[in-house]
Amino acid sequence: MQAFIPGLYPRSETLVQATRDFDRGRTTSEAVDEQVERDLSELVTVQQQAGLDLLADGMLRWQDVFRPLVEGSEGLETGALTRFLDTNTFYRAPSATTAEPRLRAPLGERYVAPLPGPRLVTLPSPYGLAQGTGLPPKALAEGVLKPQLDALDAELVVLEEPFLARDENADLNSVEEALRTLEGGPKLALWLTFGNAQPLFEQGLSDLPVHAIGIDFYATPVTDVPEGFDKPLLAGVLDARSSVLEEPREIAAFVQRLHDRGIEEIALVPNGDLQYVSEQVAREKLARLGKARTATVDAAA
Amino acid sequence: MTQEVKFLTHEVGSLAKPPWLVKTSAGKPLDESDVEHARSWGEKVGVEDYGQLVELLQQEERDPDEIARWASKYCVRLQESAGVEVIWDGEQQRSEMYAWAIAHSNGFEPRGTVRSFDNKYYSKSAATGPVSLREPYHDGEFSFLKSVARHELKIPITGAYTLAVWSYDEHHLPKEGRLGAGLSRKDEIEARRELTLDIARNIIRPNLESLIGLGATWIQIDEPGASTEEDELDIFVESFNVSVEGLDCFFSTHLCFSDYDLFFPAIEGMSGCRQYCVGFANYDTRELGTSGAERPGYEVISKWRDLPYDPILGLGVLDIHTDFVEPPELVRDRILYAVEVFGDPARIHVCPDCGLRTRSWDVAYEKLRNMVEGTRLAEEALNRAHAGARG
Repeated sequence: MQAFIPGLYPRSETLVQATRDFDRGRTTSEAVDEQVERDLSELVTVQQQAGLDLLADGMLRWQDVFRPLVEGSEGLETGALTRFLDTNTFYRAPSATTAEPRLRAPLGERYVAPLPGPRLVTLPSPYGLAQGTGLPPKALAEGVLKPQLDALDAELVVLEEPFLARDENADLNSVEEALRTLEGGPKLALWLTFGNAQPLFEQGLSDLPVHAIGIDFYATPVTDVPEGFDKPLLAGVLDARSSVLEEPREIAAFVQRLHDRGIEEIALVPNGDLQYVSEQVAREKLARLGKARTATVDAAA
Repeated sequence: MTQEVKFLTHEVGSLAKPPWLVKTSAGKPLDESDVEHARSWGEKVGVEDYGQLVELLQQEERDPDEIARWASKYCVRLQESAGVEVIWDGEQQRSEMYAWAIAHSNGFEPRGTVRSFDNKYYSKSAATGPVSLREPYHDGEFSFLKSVARHELKIPITGAYTLAVWSYDEHHLPKEGRLGAGLSRKDEIEARRELTLDIARNIIRPNLESLIGLGATWIQIDEPGASTEEDELDIFVESFNVSVEGLDCFFSTHLCFSDYDLFFPAIEGMSGCRQYCVGFANYDTRELGTSGAERPGYEVISKWRDLPYDPILGLGVLDIHTDFVEPPELVRDRILYAVEVFGDPARIHVCPDCGLRTRSWDVAYEKLRNMVEGTRLAEEALNRAHAGARG
């Protein structure tokens, strides 16, 4: 049993104020950078104290899950400010100006921070990155994500996928084709955030060429995960859109239900980016994730 | 005889707070640039007694509420000076459209800040008990603005659905049992309905009644969160109706940054709404022209034209997310396209997409001036065409 936190983690109140001050010309970029480093250091400490198995950098500089890759690619542009699913957070929807976008250079440490231990890195999934561009996911996988993956040293790369589970006409063939182009590098997980994955299981989600699959268990009934699911399962057991703090014993009991369905390898994760709660709430949820992991291990012992 | 075409221009909501207000509110000292800001803007937009503020700002002790009222007066004059006909004060005396309402209500607890977009964040609270109004929270500012404004006033108030959907709900939703999809979507919707209608009845409506009692004639119910959940639009409509039903006032609503198609047909039932103020420029091109190809951001407006109760459309013509200052000719063409679609110019008002809070006063002022100038250009074009047709 593992536990970790992919995705965008909320900025501290101090960092929020620093970026606000910077936008208004009241502070310097150096001061913001220093606060980002303090936030990152604190986040690492909190993960270590919670006993999480892989460290994440929280993507503290990312304005949304697509932005640095879009801005760093020839043939991609940031489009209109768009509501992110049914949250009250907005992102710049990517748009394409060529059929074959190309990442100019892999994102450096500014966007993928080095960490003092085994780490995970989160990137957008090719299907998510392709949304609204009119391009097939494979084009984004080949031209943008593959060069980034080739430059990464990580235990696990989590491909965040917010749209697939909500797309009634989802075409898993195009997703599979895109994921095939990403093989050969770090282990990959496809993380379906904020949505019911049940229809995708019926279409063969389990067979996609990734090491692990992440499921939102606030939207997906546990009975919809195929019995004997034989990939590592990233179980979305923290609700990143709710301020209610999860009870570790409830998560532990839920994990037992997964085990009862013959699912062996489980990692506890949030059901989406934790940035949809404040940093104070996220920190407490993260601590409870660690406790749930231990509670489950204790129960099993 | 054909009547002269004349469009009403109005603001939408917030303006940035001046540095001398921000620092005073935060208890920070001012420097000479802050005093100069007050002096130069006072002169520029015609604040008649700005010298008193300049003196106040040079004192060590300042009353934040008094400084906020000065900021209100500056914003009123800024908009009047730009030529905007129906105005408000850019919410200078409020903390923010959500936080201000929550701070004056019972039944909520703060839960920290959450990203709106990029580096913009908002304070988010949770409903933790029965909600009610602590005190009418716009009366003081309305009375003050009534005493200083030379132009007509329009009061924005955050609507019930937006207050509900921007809050966490720890009161109506169960704390446990949701993991494993234990709570159906139907249950979630029912919880949202309860919270939203409680807010409409117990917080919004008493505020509206109080403002009308003070002489308010136009109240804009802001609902930027209205389309957050596709399957909850009937709750937004029901909450609007519950808020305004039977009250004697011109009620409008403000919608922005949404997939506007989602609102139809739900808002066919929102007949108490006399005007929809909607942001479109954010989705439009910067090319001049009045054809559909040049105005993709406005394609959806025909749906408002076809609503059975003939509401006015407040046409958003300024993108508030960019410092790009729309040339008057671009504003003109956006209006002319809208008139072409609507057929009836009387059903068009002109406004920014949303509040200009994220722009500097310099940029906001130039944008508003160009909005007014572009509106006059559109009027001239239409009146010329009508005169030509008559001749």
